[in-house]
Amino acid sequence: MKTPPGKVGSSLFEFPIYTVRSSFLKMNLLTKNKLIKQRMKIKSQLTLLFVLMGVVLGFAQTQVSGTVSDANGDPIPGATVLVQGTNNGTTSDFDGNFSIAVEENQNIEVTYIGYTSQTILFTGQDSLSVSLTEDLNELDEIVITGYGSTKKANLTGAIAKVTGSDIASVQTARVDDALAGKLSGVFIQNQSGNPGADPKIAIRAASSITGNSNPLIVVDGYPISGSLATVNPNDIESIEVLKDASSAAIYGSRGANGVILVTSKKGKSGATKFSYNAYTSFSDKYRENINMTAGQWGAHAEAEIANGNWDITELNSIAPGYADYKIWGYKNSPDVVAIEDYVFDGGSTQSHNFSASGGNENSNFFASVGYQDVDGITITQDFQRINARLSVDTKLGDKFKAGVSFNGYTSQSTALEHDLRDILRGGSLHPIYHTAESIAFVQELEARHRALGIRVDRRGNVGGFQAFDDNKPKEQIPGTHAALSIYDLEPGDPAWDFHYGRIGNGIGGSSNPGTASLIDNKSNTGKEYFANISAYLEYNIAEGLNLKTVLGGDYRSTQANRHYLVSGDNNGELKDTYLDQDNVSRSSWLSETTLTYKTVINDVHDITGLIGVEVQKNQVSGIYIDGNNVGSILGDPLNYALLTNADTEVSEKEDLNQRESVFARLGYAYDNRYLVSASVRRDGDSRFGSNNRHQIFPAFSIGWNLHNEAFFNNAGLVSKLKPRISYGSLGTVSNLGYHNALSFVNASGTVLGNGFNIPSDLSNPDLTWQTNTETNFGIDLGILNNRITFGVDYYTSDIEDILIDQSVPQIFGRKSIRLNSGDLKSSGLEFELNAGIIQNGNLTWSMSANLSTVKTEITDLGSLSALPDNNSYGTSGRGGVYRNYVGGEIGEIWTLETTGSVAMEHVINPLDVIGNTSGEVYVVDQNGDGRIDATKSVADGGDLVKQGTNTPDFYWGMSHNLNYKNFDLGLQFQGSHGGIVYNVDPLYNGSNWGGRLRSSFDANGDGQEDATGKFYKRERDFTDHVIQDASFIALRNLTFGYTLDDSLINQVGLSSVRVYAAATNLLYIMADNYTSYNPEGVDTSSSSKYAGPITYGHQSGETPIARSFTFGLNINF
Amino acid sequence: MKKIFILLATALFTSACTADLDQVPPNLGASESITDFTPVLFAAYNYQNQAVAPMAIFGDFRSDNALFDEEFTAFDTFTLPSTLAGDATQAFLEPFYVALYNSILSANNVIENSSDATLVAEARFLRGLSYFKLVQVFGDVTVNLLNATPDQIAAADITRQPKASVYTDVIIPDLEAARDGLAASTAAAAKGRATKYAAQGLLGKVLATTGNYPEAEAQLATVMSGTGAAGIISSTSFADVFSSDLNAEILFATQLSSSFSYSNEIFTNWFAGNNTKADQGGPVSPNLVSAFAANPADVRGALTVDNNGGDPIATKFARGTEQDWIELRIADVVLLYAEALNENNKTAQAITELNRIRTRAGLAATAAISKADVRQAILDERRLELALEGHRWFDLVRAEAAEAGLMNANMGATVPSSLYIFPLPTTEITSFPDITQNPGY
Repeated sequence: MKTPPGKVGSSLFEFPIYTVRSSFLKMNLLTKNKLIKQRMKIKSQLTLLFVLMGVVLGFAQTQVSGTVSDANGDPIPGATVLVQGTNNGTTSDFDGNFSIAVEENQNIEVTYIGYTSQTILFTGQDSLSVSLTEDLNELDEIVITGYGSTKKANLTGAIAKVTGSDIASVQTARVDDALAGKLSGVFIQNQSGNPGADPKIAIRAASSITGNSNPLIVVDGYPISGSLATVNPNDIESIEVLKDASSAAIYGSRGANGVILVTSKKGKSGATKFSYNAYTSFSDKYRENINMTAGQWGAHAEAEIANGNWDITELNSIAPGYADYKIWGYKNSPDVVAIEDYVFDGGSTQSHNFSASGGNENSNFFASVGYQDVDGITITQDFQRINARLSVDTKLGDKFKAGVSFNGYTSQSTALEHDLRDILRGGSLHPIYHTAESIAFVQELEARHRALGIRVDRRGNVGGFQAFDDNKPKEQIPGTHAALSIYDLEPGDPAWDFHYGRIGNGIGGSSNPGTASLIDNKSNTGKEYFANISAYLEYNIAEGLNLKTVLGGDYRSTQANRHYLVSGDNNGELKDTYLDQDNVSRSSWLSETTLTYKTVINDVHDITGLIGVEVQKNQVSGIYIDGNNVGSILGDPLNYALLTNADTEVSEKEDLNQRESVFARLGYAYDNRYLVSASVRRDGDSRFGSNNRHQIFPAFSIGWNLHNEAFFNNAGLVSKLKPRISYGSLGTVSNLGYHNALSFVNASGTVLGNGFNIPSDLSNPDLTWQTNTETNFGIDLGILNNRITFGVDYYTSDIEDILIDQSVPQIFGRKSIRLNSGDLKSSGLEFELNAGIIQNGNLTWSMSANLSTVKTEITDLGSLSALPDNNSYGTSGRGGVYRNYVGGEIGEIWTLETTGSVAMEHVINPLDVIGNTSGEVYVVDQNGDGRIDATKSVADGGDLVKQGTNTPDFYWGMSHNLNYKNFDLGLQFQGSHGGIVYNVDPLYNGSNWGGRLRSSFDANGDGQEDATGKFYKRERDFTDHVIQDASFIALRNLTFGYTLDDSLINQVGLSSVRVYAAATNLLYIMADNYTSYNPEGVDTSSSSKYAGPITYGHQSGETPIARSFTFGLNINF
Repeated sequence: MKKIFILLATALFTSACTADLDQVPPNLGASESITDFTPVLFAAYNYQNQAVAPMAIFGDFRSDNALFDEEFTAFDTFTLPSTLAGDATQAFLEPFYVALYNSILSANNVIENSSDATLVAEARFLRGLSYFKLVQVFGDVTVNLLNATPDQIAAADITRQPKASVYTDVIIPDLEAARDGLAASTAAAAKGRATKYAAQGLLGKVLATTGNYPEAEAQLATVMSGTGAAGIISSTSFADVFSSDLNAEILFATQLSSSFSYSNEIFTNWFAGNNTKADQGGPVSPNLVSAFAANPADVRGALTVDNNGGDPIATKFARGTEQDWIELRIADVVLLYAEALNENNKTAQAITELNRIRTRAGLAATAAISKADVRQAILDERRLELALEGHRWFDLVRAEAAEAGLMNANMGATVPSSLYIFPLPTTEITSFPDITQNPGY
């Protein structure tokens, strides 16, 4: 079957899935020719018509020849060369050469799809050399969509795209880090600075109250069971993010959080190309130390007393000499190491990637291996990964095509086992390990204390001298050589806080044992193995009609080991120890078959169709071993065999899930002007109740390429104008486990015998998906031949049947049951701007920027008007009150309003501990009822006021790329504004116990300052004292590169060499009232009672934002 | 070509369509598959464990036996020891409320689904017992008689039902059914499970509490004769009652064992002073110590309390976490029977029954003669005999119903009648406006 050139119908078969931006195809002419066939379409047919009709008439014509090349000097075959105002035209040949008859003073226009056209005045030149620059917004750019691809020009949904080169240009360890700030409507937040930790990715507004926001990640058509960490950033051809319903609805029940489609690099026919990328980077925490050391605190105390801010007259009268003793101690403690300096010891990264790609007309391959070694900025943090990818595609005769791909990695990581907040709150009043000087000092400290004979606690209570050894036996904690008596210390012993005197005895007083004992003898390591293998077979049934079937599987095994050996608490008492191991393996297999059809009828009816079936089965098996009482076991390696049966607990789980789906999509474009697309998917999922396991998710979208209308002058200022509307429904399983719709026997021992307790889940045959119904309005605008493009999208989403844990009276045996109950509304506005600011031969400068807003509102909570309030630390305060109610946003943080801290002059013993504060704040009695009620909002008769949510009001990104000759410069900014955090760290760094005020402050103890009648509360008691602005502006990345001259490197057989230097977070602006190290940090651990988006925004000892400097090298040969 | 296509398509579509959406983990049994409901019943028994410490708090720490604060205060303003988080409602009322409704839910499951009549009768006993505890503590309560499905939960009436109707519609019919459905055998009691006389004795107590003393007398008389109560009292020493579990005196006890965790609050610790109330003094009221001291001959004194140098503690429960919580014992039945006789104007007979208990305690016969004096004498005897077993407060409330003024007279304080019952758990009333709080809280 012969296909006429320019017919789009045949090209689909040759480039069925992974047709991409032309810039990638420059390397290979063969490939390029094929692409041309596909792209020429109507325009090229017209050109051909001109050529055929090209009657060369007898004017004074000269035959001039020339070449068409791109900015790199590579020839462009198939470019259209036309003498303006005539039918005289030709196309450039294989090597970019052309020859055309032209008269003097006629204009020759050279056009090629994807490039800005150029017009040259012929003045009798001998030859013409035409260099075309790439059009930044190619009309025929191909965008990958769910189960297929489409021309960007025909797109009607909201899809954001990032090319592999954009990702590779930011040398981050992870793909998601590289994406930060690049896409509108996509917010990437570094909740945890741990190496290897997944950031939070939120595409548009939260679609769920209880579930996570993680989008579906599809790599080369395979929905993987891991995160984006499974993909090596160097292997990426492009990433498409499906944001709106019409784009994502083809993924039906999994599309509600958005879909990220990753397309990996494929080989291209031609000689095998090799590429080597390597970089090394050095990093340190961005912010200077927050807390004072003993010496600083001593000096600070003297200054504060001298300037009258601190009043120690009462302290001096009840405990003469005590204040001087404390100040002497703080100022003279030797060899003090700031805990922050010790813990944040700086990090480095080494990365090496090697890839090879190539092929011939029938087959191609891409292979890569990578190695990465990250030493985190926090002590003990470490991450290593080795990954490999291989993909092979081959034609089997005329009709069949097949391919197989493999992606795998293994990684291991080490994390800090002890809570960072807890480590940092310990006062920096000693070395980490004792020195001869520090031992002498603690002994002198005690001697002076003995001579003084009194101690004072934080409340100003005076007690007698408490000898060091009064309470503790003189013995060593086995294995640690941690002396319990300061008279047994030897240099090198861990310095414990209580060596420096506890509870007013000396200068110690934090609740911590000491930095070394919190970090040593503990570990937290993880190992991960991941492999994904998939194969496809494709059969070309007829022209434009293809049947493709994919079969694949993936496997991810994670092993987490945590142990805590002998150590002690603040008083040197032995604490519980543990040795825990979790082994979890997740596997899935996938079978997917699609039938696609593409045709163009009568040159104007562009029709694409798709139908498919998909079955995926997931299995999670876990074995969890918890060992206790490992205190005296110091086996190396640690071994469960050393534990007794009684101290070992083993649990296991096995979860199964199966999903079956059928889907279809129809796209129709009339004359490149009127665009319509419709899709439908029917999903069945085993996790839902037997009555509601299937659901249909339809979507519909339309668009209008206004600029292609005859009446539109697209040569004017506005070169592109495309309004589009989409509507569709999506589902999400939220956080519903594989078996939550079922009820299982919950066996437990009782005195009488085996008992079946109330099952944790109620059997609910009606449980089903929550459904987002989303409407998207978008407009794309191109100015000056699309040199500037501007896009706006506005969406609204109605989220219904939200899977929430609906509170029920506890008479039903549980606090809540999972129901499809409750509605949310969300909306957002997204702007995208791209501009080619300067485009000339030597200098190009392009920029792109985006800004997004997010808004959510809870509109219904079933039978309730509000979910029960949540507190991070329960009733002991140290958190906001999370309120989720009808009419509110998700996860609102409410607290008492404060009007400032109680001044230090009211503190009886301001010297108590390093960083001591009054611990008390003035609070507002909002309703004037004479009492402070932190359990209810003002409207409900209490005093809580809304502070905000962690979700920003808006966030933005901006990137600039400059090229001058061989130099390139890239800048990537990211900003987020309006989010807040409840930052618990300052409470712990200062004081959160209260009770420091002298009794005259509030003699009658009525909670009001006697002098002013103002109400006061402990800082930690649900006040806004530590509500901080989480906004930031970051220069995420700055890269400066230099590409060596070809003349130098070609001689040694290399095709290109680029060296670069880059900085991450060179500039990171935090809000004035933000006092910790990472405004993006959010604690999502169970210890802070994190319960999903409804309790989002608590911060506790987050790993700092790191600034790093990178030096790298790319070599291609 | 076409054949290949059809073949391929058929094969793939077929394999897809036969996918199985019934995925069940191989290592777990479905709740619906239960056929023997014994383990569900055991869970219903077991949930009672978590109501034990609160019952001790409500019965004794509210009363003059072991006042929480020096003066009588509303329960929700109790000063809690620093070892307990939150307020008194969180510490005691919510666990109590949850435990009993869990027991009820498990019992409902047995009643609804089991075909074993004995299991159903035991479940009805536990349900009756649970609701009896609930109405005594909270007054009106929500009634759930279903092993509810999500739909039933959505449709359920969660408003609190009048106490009187809970007695007539739920508690009394349940205990009657248990009485009629259970064997008189003491073998079940020896295993810690409900028996006919446990049910009937409890029924007698319920009837007395509702003021139906004639019917109470009839039921208790049957228990007296059926169990040989008089013989047990004369043959079992007071010390023996607490030195072992499930002895002849015990009609029904909630069994506790350190092998099975029950509650984070252990009632014996409270009475031993290990969990000091309000961070000060001993747990037992000096007033109870002096009540025993008034009669040095009373063998129960040393076996119940120890002045402990002015910080009095309990000696009654020496076996710590192994000590069962006695729900109903023979002495309780005897004293209830005496009470019923007295209220039914059979005061002479009542004195006979009362003296059985006094005799065992080493005391002389009561000097009380008039109905009112005998009423007070029985109340006093119950205080000493059943001290720290979670009865005192409820006895006082019952006595007040029989004769106005007894509460204040015995407490030596003015106790507003609104405080006879306790506040509902805060979480429940704030989440569900249909569930109202008791007045006065």
